[in-house]
Amino acid sequence: MAASISGYTFSSVCYHSANSNSDHEGFLLGDVRQEETVSISDTQISSAELLQVVEIHNHDPCAQLFSFYDYAGKLNEENLNSILKDRRKNVIGWYRFRRNTQQQMSFREQIIHKQLTQLLGVPDLVFLLFSFISTANSSTHALEYVLFRPNRRFNQRITLTIPNLGNTSQQEYKVSSVPNTSLNYTQVIKEHGAEFFDKDGVMKDIRTIFQVYSALQDKVQAVCGEVEQSERVREKIQEDVNKLKQQIALRKHKTAEEEKRLCAAQNADSHPTPEENTEPSEASPLSRITFHTPSAPERPSTSPNPPSYSDLLSQDDSLLSSSSPPTSAALLPRPQAVGSPGHPTPGPLGMGPGLGLGLGASSNPVTTPSTPVPWQW
Amino acid sequence: MNNMSPEVALHRISPELRPMLCSVVRDGRVGLDSTNCLRVTDLKTGCTSLTPGPCCDRFKLHIPYAGETLKWDIIFNAQYPELPPDFIFGEDAEFLPEPSELPHLVQWDAGDPECLLQLVKELIQQYHHYQCQRLRESSRLLFEYDSLLEDPNYGRNMEIYAGRKNSWTGEFSARFLLKLPVDFSNIPVYLLKDTALDPGEDVALLSVSFEDAEATQVFPKLFLSPSIEHALGDSLALQIPAFPSGGCLIDYVPQVCQILNNKVQYVIQGYHKRREYIAAFLSHFGMGVVEYDAEGFTKLTLLLMWKDFCFLVHVDLPLYFPRDQPTLTFQSVYHFTNSGQLYSQVQVSYPYSPRWDGNEMAKRAKAYFKSFIPQFQEGAFANGKL
Repeated sequence: MAASISGYTFSSVCYHSANSNSDHEGFLLGDVRQEETVSISDTQISSAELLQVVEIHNHDPCAQLFSFYDYAGKLNEENLNSILKDRRKNVIGWYRFRRNTQQQMSFREQIIHKQLTQLLGVPDLVFLLFSFISTANSSTHALEYVLFRPNRRFNQRITLTIPNLGNTSQQEYKVSSVPNTSLNYTQVIKEHGAEFFDKDGVMKDIRTIFQVYSALQDKVQAVCGEVEQSERVREKIQEDVNKLKQQIALRKHKTAEEEKRLCAAQNADSHPTPEENTEPSEASPLSRITFHTPSAPERPSTSPNPPSYSDLLSQDDSLLSSSSPPTSAALLPRPQAVGSPGHPTPGPLGMGPGLGLGLGASSNPVTTPSTPVPWQW
Repeated sequence: MNNMSPEVALHRISPELRPMLCSVVRDGRVGLDSTNCLRVTDLKTGCTSLTPGPCCDRFKLHIPYAGETLKWDIIFNAQYPELPPDFIFGEDAEFLPEPSELPHLVQWDAGDPECLLQLVKELIQQYHHYQCQRLRESSRLLFEYDSLLEDPNYGRNMEIYAGRKNSWTGEFSARFLLKLPVDFSNIPVYLLKDTALDPGEDVALLSVSFEDAEATQVFPKLFLSPSIEHALGDSLALQIPAFPSGGCLIDYVPQVCQILNNKVQYVIQGYHKRREYIAAFLSHFGMGVVEYDAEGFTKLTLLLMWKDFCFLVHVDLPLYFPRDQPTLTFQSVYHFTNSGQLYSQVQVSYPYSPRWDGNEMAKRAKAYFKSFIPQFQEGAFANGKL
C-alpha cells in the first residue's frame, strides 16, 4: 500500500495542529484506488502487481477533544455524524497530533480506531500520527508524521509521499497525482488547455524538448567514436617515437664506447700507467648510464615510457594492429544526469585500515581480574 | 537517564495536575516490591513552546513489576486538566486492557488526587492478567501458575512476567515473583534498626526465572528487604537450593519458605540463647565482668586473676550461636607486643558443645580458663614486653 497527500492539505493539517495549545485530532477525507503494474522480464512472463494507493484530498479537524467519544473511548455515533455530515462516505482515515510523545499508537487511539473501522465500514482505515518535538532550548522543532495501517498485522506503517516536498534541485518537479478537486481550477484548465496539450493529452513542449535531447545524445555518441579513433592513432605514434628514441640512445652509447677504446689504446702506447686510467674508465660508464636514465625529479608526464592506452584496455596486440572495429553507441555507456538512478553514488569514506585498526585496538578487552570485592562489616 | 527527584517533577508539572502526580510519587507503591516506589521521568509539555511554565503534562512512569520495570507514557492535556489521561504501554504494544475493567477511567474524577494512582493500580492488575494469558503459550509454565494459584499462601501474592518469545530460537521465557509468607515480626528489634535507609516493609521475595518453556533452565533468586538482610547476616549465608531439574514451583517454594523460616527462628533463638549465656556468666563471675553488650548480647569481657596474674578474657558470640562457637580472646594486662598493642591470644577451638545450656557453658569455660592460663602466662612473658 502506498499513500500520498497533497502539499496544501498537509500544510493545512500542520497549521491547525501547530496552532492548537493541546492535542488535536480530525478526519482524513479522500480516495483509495488500485494501481496495477505489469512488468515484463527476460523470461517473457508478465507479472502484474496490484498496489493500493490511498490519496488524501482533504481533512476535517475536530473542534475539541472527546467530541465523538467518552472517557472510556466509546464512540458516540450521533456526535460523529454531526461532525462529518455528508462527508462521512469520503472518510478514509483519521489523524491525531500530540507534542513530545512517541510515534506509537496510544491505548485510547487503538480503541477508537477499532470502533471507527466498524462504524464507518472502512476495513483499511488509516491513522496518521503527528508528533512535534522541540529541543529544551526551543532552538529546533521537528514535525514527525507516521501513517499507520492498524488493522493489519503488527500495525504496519506506510510511507506517505508528499509530492515536491524534498530537494527539487536534484529531482524533477512532479505533478501531484492527487487531483485538485477545486471547481475553479477545473474550469480554468478546461478553457485554456488546448493551447498547451496536443490531441493525446501530452504537453506539446515536452515532445519538442525530447527531440532536441535525442539529437544531442546522438551527436555526443558520434564524437565519442572519433575520440577513440584518434586516441588509438596517437598511441601508435607514441610507441614508434619511443622505439626510435631507444635506438638513438643505443647508437650514442656504442659510439661513445668506441671512442673510449680508441683513446685508451692511444694512451697505453704513450703513458704506461694503467691504474689511473682504470678508475675513470670504470667511472665513465656509470656516468654515462646516469646520463641516459631519467632522473627522479623529472615529471612523470615527460618520462619516455608512459603506460599505453592498449595496456589499460587489454594485452591483445591484435586490437591495435587490426583495423579498429566500428565504434557503436552500444560500446559506450550513455551519460546520465547527476541524481538519476543510474548515476554511481560516491562510496563510503574513511573505510581504510586506519579505522580497522582503531576498532581492533578497542576490541581487545583488558581483562580486569574480576576479583570480587568482599563486603565486610 | 533523566533521574528526576520527585520534587523537581512536581515543580515542573502543570499546577492543575500537581495533586495527582503528588500522590503518585510520594505515596505510590504498587505491586509486591514495595521497596521500590514509582518514578517519574521525561516530563514534557503538550502546549506550544511559547506557553509560560510550568506546563508539563506528559511523562514516563517507571513501575516495578515482577523484577522488570515497566515504562509507561502518561499523556494529559494541561489546557484541559479535567480530561482523563491517555497511555502508551511502552514495548507491550499488544497490551490493550478493556476500558470497562478500569472504573477509575470510566468515572474519571480530576478533583480526586488519588484517581491517577488508582487507575495505575487497575492497569497493573489488567497487565497481570495479560501476562498470565501469555503463559498459555507454554503448557508447562501454565501448569506452574495454576498450581501456585490454588495455594492461598502464594496465589494472592504473585506477579508474572511472561517474556517475549525469542524470534530466533523460538524460546519463551517467564519470571515469577512471589512474596513469601514468612513472619519476621519476632526478630529482635536491635537487629533491624541498623540500616541507613528507610527500612520500609519487611518482605522476602522469591524470583524464579524460566529461561525456556520446558523448565530446563530455571534460576531462582531471593530478595530480602534491607533490614531483614541485615538481621539474617550476609546473603552468602542465606543460600537457597538450586531449582531441581524436573521439579516444580509448588514443591520448591515451600522448601525455600522453610529454609527462610528456619533461619529466622535460628536468629531469634540465637538471641535468646546469647542472653542466657551472658546471664549465666554474670552469675558465675559476678564482679569479674568488666562489660557486656546489653542490647544484642554479642560481647562479654571478664577480668580474671590466677596466682597474682591478672588477665582479660573477651568473649565474642557469633550470629548463629550456639551452632557456632564463641571466640575467646585472652589478653594480658601487663605485656605489650612490638606494635604497642596488649599481648593477646585468640582461642576458637576449645571444649564446647552447642547442646549445653548457659550454666553448663559457664562452668566449662571456667574450667578451660584455668587449664589454659599457665600456657598463656608463659607466652605473655616470653613474647611480650612490660
